[in-house]
Amino acid sequence: MRRTIIFSMILASLILAAAFAVAGPQAPVHSISLPETRVELAPGDGKVKVETFCNICHSLDYITMQPKFSRAQWTGTVNKMVKVFGAPINEEDSKMIIDYLVAQYGAGN
Amino acid sequence: MMRRGFSRRDFLKTAGAFTAMTAIGEFPAEVFADERKMVRFPEKTDLIVLTQRPVQLETPLHYFKELITPNKALFVRWHISQLPTSVDLNLWRLRVGGNTEKELALSMDDLKQFEKVSYTAVIQCSGNGRSFFEPWVAGGQWKNGAMGNVTFAGARLRDILNKAGIKAGSVDVSFDGLDRAPLPSVPDFVKSLPVDKALEDDILVAYEMNGEYMPLLNGFPARLVVPGWYATYWVKGLTDITVLPKQFEGFWVKTAYRIPDTACGCIPPGSAPKKTIPINRMTTRSLIIDPSVQAQLKAKKPVEIMGIAFSGGYSIREVIVSVDKGKTWKEARLGQDKGRYSWIQWFFPWKPDTPGKYTLMARATNSIGESQPFESLWNPAGYLWNKIEKVEVMVT
Ligand code: HEC
Repeated sequence: MRRTIIFSMILASLILAAAFAVAGPQAPVHSISLPETRVELAPGDGKVKVETFCNICHSLDYITMQPKFSRAQWTGTVNKMVKVFGAPINEEDSKMIIDYLVAQYGAGN
Repeated sequence: MMRRGFSRRDFLKTAGAFTAMTAIGEFPAEVFADERKMVRFPEKTDLIVLTQRPVQLETPLHYFKELITPNKALFVRWHISQLPTSVDLNLWRLRVGGNTEKELALSMDDLKQFEKVSYTAVIQCSGNGRSFFEPWVAGGQWKNGAMGNVTFAGARLRDILNKAGIKAGSVDVSFDGLDRAPLPSVPDFVKSLPVDKALEDDILVAYEMNGEYMPLLNGFPARLVVPGWYATYWVKGLTDITVLPKQFEGFWVKTAYRIPDTACGCIPPGSAPKKTIPINRMTTRSLIIDPSVQAQLKAKKPVEIMGIAFSGGYSIREVIVSVDKGKTWKEARLGQDKGRYSWIQWFFPWKPDTPGKYTLMARATNSIGESQPFESLWNPAGYLWNKIEKVEVMVT
């Protein structure tokens, strides 16, 4: 009996919470949940490094949406992530990442 | 069946999100716009996904056939990945302070006590059209869908600032919102305006878009509206307005969102600017919305070419249209005028005489003579795009 009461209380509060979540501005709490699907990168040496480091601050579609940049441009971008935004990537890994980006998402040179 | 630039994996993933549609077995037309993937985010309709985290979504062009862009179709652009997904209006406050007589902490009810001001304005990302620049530039690869025309309503920023009382010697006013950086090394997204700009008549702290509350992804519960200026200043989920006795030094004004300090905001393609200034007013633009490149037109059958035009806060004086790749031009008829911040629709009757390929072009000029270039004006961040567009259509 007691269980049922607690259960229905929980249920009621869940329904209430759900109602608030969709009711918009009159309701005090307005919530959404954001979908995120995995971005598949092209296979190649360095892919795992890119998936490890370039996914920390933003999704990998930041990479896949770019046009086919030259080595100079990809180098500039990776350096910006490290120097301007503090991406925790050492020089060796940066080099590997740049090679991968140039080969898979670049002009190839 | 396979579209360029899309792997089978991408297709399967997209299809998964649209099971209902794929059940019919055909490639659902809504899922792609210009061969780009579409997803439906909360409170939004199917929009073109640039990035998922932080969310950046582009509006398919056909929405611009309407004078007003629906809330669910308006583009989305966040900078740093911890964006607000839940707002409790019991807790949310708009804090106003810094170099002021008083500190304020306004609830939504307080905000609604100020005189309510409303107008229609173009909201456009600084990088709208970035993907068209040559040479290419890094950043969000927007086509033309990082904009919309929305009726905003809210309180005047000036009224709020006056209630707090700006102290003499104030220089800038900064604006911070609910979004947070993923790592401490990534600068928080904070913007600023010079104090004189902030005190102009028309700047709003808006809490309504098109008569409704705004979707969370577009800045619920309130966002800054700086009509005529690029949307980088229109801070979403606004929480802090700070009056500063000196120039604001934050990254997103001092380092990012800058244009070359030249008359056109441009420099020779591929070069680096000597001096830069913060981006500000929008350039003048016109777009051809209908017919689109996919249109099936017939010789001797009349059609109406339709488009939109707007500028950075000055009304559109004229739109001229060419159907012969710029050889000859004629004036288009302008539609309903919803004020100098709104876009205006234009219409141009056309009857192609013979079958063949036609290049349509449109060029807008505003009331102070600002117009559009025939060749793209380049800058390293890919801002201010307003080259005269060319739409190629086939007539059979
Ligand atoms: C420390 C956080 C962080 C990490 C790690 C990071 N980025 Fe970024 N990245 C950012 C931020 C912040 C932006 C700018 C976001 C904006 O303006 O929307 C950005 C933007 C970009 C852009 C768009 C172009 C530009 O310059 O704004 C590209 C491309 C990009 N990142 C690639 C990468 C790659 C490749 C890696 C891995 C080497 C990486 N990022 C790792 C923070 C990071």
